[in-house]
Amino acid sequence: MNEVFTLAVSAILLAGFYSAMAYGLGLIYGVLRIVNLAHGGIIMASAYLTWQLFDHFAIDPFLAIPIALVVFFGVGVAIYLGLVRFLPRGPAGAVQSLLLLFGVWLVIRNIAYLLFTGNEQVIHTEYATSSVRILGASFSVARIAVFGVALVALFALHLLLTRTYLGRAIRAVAQNPDSCTLAGINVERVYVLTFGLGTALAGLAGVLASALFAFTPSFGASELLKSFVIIVLGGLGSIVGIATGAAVLAFAEVFSVYVVPPYLTSAVGFVLLVVVLVLRPGGLFGQRVLR
Amino acid sequence: MPIELKLLDDTTDQAKAVNLAQRLITQDKVNFFLGTYSTALVEAQSTVAEQNQIPYVTGGGAATSIYAKGYKWIFGTLAPVANLADTEMKWIAEQQAAGAVPKPARIALVWENTSHGKDFRKGVQDFTAAHPGDYTVVTDESFALDGKDFSAILSKVRAAKADLFMVDAHLPDFITMQRQYLSSNMCTKILTYGARGTESDAKAALGQTGVDYILSAVWWNKQLGNSGLNKEFVEKFTAKFGSAPEWYQALGYEAARSLFTAIAKAGSVDRAKVREQLSSLDMDSILPGGKLSYPPAKGGQADYPFVVQQNLPDGSSPIIYPAEVSTGKGVAPNPACKG
Repeated sequence: MNEVFTLAVSAILLAGFYSAMAYGLGLIYGVLRIVNLAHGGIIMASAYLTWQLFDHFAIDPFLAIPIALVVFFGVGVAIYLGLVRFLPRGPAGAVQSLLLLFGVWLVIRNIAYLLFTGNEQVIHTEYATSSVRILGASFSVARIAVFGVALVALFALHLLLTRTYLGRAIRAVAQNPDSCTLAGINVERVYVLTFGLGTALAGLAGVLASALFAFTPSFGASELLKSFVIIVLGGLGSIVGIATGAAVLAFAEVFSVYVVPPYLTSAVGFVLLVVVLVLRPGGLFGQRVLR
Repeated sequence: MPIELKLLDDTTDQAKAVNLAQRLITQDKVNFFLGTYSTALVEAQSTVAEQNQIPYVTGGGAATSIYAKGYKWIFGTLAPVANLADTEMKWIAEQQAAGAVPKPARIALVWENTSHGKDFRKGVQDFTAAHPGDYTVVTDESFALDGKDFSAILSKVRAAKADLFMVDAHLPDFITMQRQYLSSNMCTKILTYGARGTESDAKAALGQTGVDYILSAVWWNKQLGNSGLNKEFVEKFTAKFGSAPEWYQALGYEAARSLFTAIAKAGSVDRAKVREQLSSLDMDSILPGGKLSYPPAKGGQADYPFVVQQNLPDGSSPIIYPAEVSTGKGVAPNPACKG
């Protein structure tokens, strides 16, 4: 029983990181209908930014979150204004956006190789190996902190989307951009802000990743794949669904070691993805619009 | 004979490693390859070398699968990872004989699902099979590279009440797993992550207490450099680069030195003649055992024992095995474990 409890809490903590990892990808897809393949590159770049802030200015990763959010919001706005806005909207632009953003990822990755080489980097904080005891079991302080940040991000995003004019505009554009234009909403501005916000959220994921894992310039590939699995599981375009999808993936991975060899646990998510796409193409929760 | 060295960065990308090897042949017309680092990349480049019949000497690929393909043009200075596990087990057997480790000892064997990890597992399995009654493997699990959560595996290890936690992992997984091991307050009598633990990156990532008493085995260590070729290498390297060499630099050095020795013995840059010289090479070396050869029976992979080190709380990592090169005494069981 204690072992099940320990694993369940571990899965919940992992789900926190997974959800933070997928918010940005889900938000951009939900509004712009673009799969941002540069998402993994942004996560990696943010991990390096956090490492630099820690290394040169002794800024704790969790205190670096506001800086990363601002920097990567700006990066997202720049990528949108400089590249993405020139793509055709709708299905015609789908393949082009994939190629374009994959190219952006490659550029980011190679810049990181030039600047930082391929050596693993890691951030060691005082609490990196600290633990707290919950009902007789010990859990990592860093992972609990990451979970807390992911939870705050979920509530903040939910409030933004449901309680603010910008949020309502984002949801409206996600449902029908043409009608929004007729209603006087500046759709292009919503697109810019959404892309910036989605990129900032990828930056947040990078900060959290840097607090837990070692990273190199090739970091971010498996994070992108898992993010994609999560947003499909949760229903493309649903923020709460993303958090739930992350929980489903995390629980499946953690508990699957009792069914399949541990080296196959990474594949469990993809099997789940195929099953869900066959049985419930709209995701486990079936949402089709951002909410 | 003048040597021109062309250095290219493959950025740890397999496709790029192959493309660069092709470019070196077709554009730069190189005579020989000094190989890259990591099993996957060496495997890919060695195929290019084999197809073009160019001697390929590498200090960066240890998996036996690289050398088991029947290739004739590859030569590796890294001894098999199975030897790593075997050398560690020999030290553990000494501790067991001294009563510091239970008999039979319960082993939790956890390995990355790569040829590197499989070789490590084979080394432990072969040793335990050769010592019936002394060891029981209570957990035998593999994991995929770049894991994000090892709580389930660690939970199994804890439930199995293992005395020896023997893991083979590359640096990122070592850091993630060791952080979770520490934060879940686990403590086993002996803990090893294969070759990991003594490098400066490990201490930077985990802090000194996070790496205390970790056992590791490496192909070479600067503490071997008290005399002869080793002393000369360590002094020259330190004078040139301002820091003491690590094992991967020593292995690269030996790869280059053995190639140059073979060229000198061949008296030309004829590829076939140099390959013949590499095949029959038996030269004095900085590596443990003091000799380097590329036995054809091992597919051109060097075969020698490792040196076992242990991190101590004072920040040192003395060589604790084999006795003839040891610079300190190992500690078992792990004093950090309560009870």
